[in-house]
Amino acid sequence: MTRRTARELASAVRSRQRTATAVVEETLAAIAARNGAINAFTAVAKERALAAAAAVDAAVGAGRDPGPLAGVPFAVKNLYDVAGLPTIAGSHIDRDRAPAAEDAALARRLTAAGAVLVGALNMDEYAFGFSTENTHHGPTRNPHDPARIAGGSSGGSAAAVAAGLVPLTLGSDTNGSIRVPAALCGVFGLRPTIGRLSRAGMRLFASSLDVGGPLARTAEDLALAYDAMQGPDPADPACASKPPEPTLPLLVRGVEGLRIAVAAGYYASQGAPEAFAAVERVASALGASERVELPSPGAARGAAMIVTSVEGAELHFQDLVARAQDLDPKTRARFLAGALAPGVWYAHAQRVRRWYCREMAKTFANVDVVLAPATPYPGFPIGQAWIEIAGQRLPAAGHLGVFTQPLSFAGLPTVAAPVADCGPLPLGVQIIAAPWREDLVLRTAAAAEALGAVASPTPV
Amino acid sequence: MADPFDPAHYVPEAAAAVGLTIAPADLGDVTQAFAVLARVAAQLMAIPLPEETIAAAVFIPDDGAGR
Repeated sequence: MTRRTARELASAVRSRQRTATAVVEETLAAIAARNGAINAFTAVAKERALAAAAAVDAAVGAGRDPGPLAGVPFAVKNLYDVAGLPTIAGSHIDRDRAPAAEDAALARRLTAAGAVLVGALNMDEYAFGFSTENTHHGPTRNPHDPARIAGGSSGGSAAAVAAGLVPLTLGSDTNGSIRVPAALCGVFGLRPTIGRLSRAGMRLFASSLDVGGPLARTAEDLALAYDAMQGPDPADPACASKPPEPTLPLLVRGVEGLRIAVAAGYYASQGAPEAFAAVERVASALGASERVELPSPGAARGAAMIVTSVEGAELHFQDLVARAQDLDPKTRARFLAGALAPGVWYAHAQRVRRWYCREMAKTFANVDVVLAPATPYPGFPIGQAWIEIAGQRLPAAGHLGVFTQPLSFAGLPTVAAPVADCGPLPLGVQIIAAPWREDLVLRTAAAAEALGAVASPTPV
Repeated sequence: MADPFDPAHYVPEAAAAVGLTIAPADLGDVTQAFAVLARVAAQLMAIPLPEETIAAAVFIPDDGAGR
């Protein structure tokens, strides 16, 4: 059961082949038996999950529509509010925080669609990392090799899906925190256009850049969950007033008529050869031979670093003053450094962003979809601090975001999809489109999956 | 052009100015992290932008429906 997709499980529950209660009981048993090996979950909400499953079964029994995600177990990165749990965001400082009064908006929307929340997931402290080597809660381990990182900061969200504990999770992405762990764990992850989905009830990291999004084992499941979460929300001032634009019905259109190009230059260097070879295989399957130079990736990444460091430091400034020693040693120095950045750097970085977005828009006048590597290399051993790439000694975790950071700085919707036949350690491809075109990235991901070019591998 | 920042000098001074205490054991790591930001910022500040390039961050006054 545990490798079933969300779509398959919902179909079984809706058609009365299985009860939601049976699905959730099996999920809870799988978590109890196998989470210890990967450390993806930090909290399991057993009683509320069983109660929610019973409510879904009651709706089915009464002939009411239980929703498109009926009985689908899901879990959330522990920066999402879960009613009754403290929202710790990977920290030690907030372990005694008052429990959340209600679920975060995206969790409520999935629940309204019939999904059943079963727990909260590990992450880098306050989302400031790419490896989920959390000192307080332990590292999340990659299901494909438990000695290696799962990626981050939504490492628990990716590992739980890859291990088959749940078919669907929510993560958040500031600079790559959905796409990096999705790639390293071999699952699909969607970073929607910034402003598309509500962030109400999420603890943010850098509000100019943060978005929430789903992780799953198929492109179809991403679309199913994403569609259920769309829609404006006045509780998030950055959530756009756009009506839902369903993507699931569009997946059958495939890539016919789409102009697909491969990102060249910056996005074809600074990584291991296998990362670029993986992108080429997907491009070949999709018939994409055109190359495109995306504008100023280095400047965009630098500006994203400044914006992230300053906004993150501001959010946690009182704790930096009063109790910096209680922060994770993995994040402490970077938060403190961000608190010292001159204001002109930040203001200039925000203006660079506007200029950069305009330059990026010119690219999408000529192409519909761009392919790029998700990470420069697969998951490295837990504890490894440095890595050598093309003769350069680089911070192993920090460099993981080299290909994701410039793209999210433009707010672009992106799917990270697991490239097929990568060997024992997964690698991902980013499928990128113009703002508000989640339909195109999901269509392309589904088409590549149908061609066998991307697929979520089962851990051995 | 000479680097306008000496992070080893700037970090303790700026920390004191904003009320942060950096533990001696952390000073090296914080200085190193700040040096990375300073290096990135130097490249960024060299990008000339016309005044009419308006920041992407948009403030929309709350109409009372939000929080």
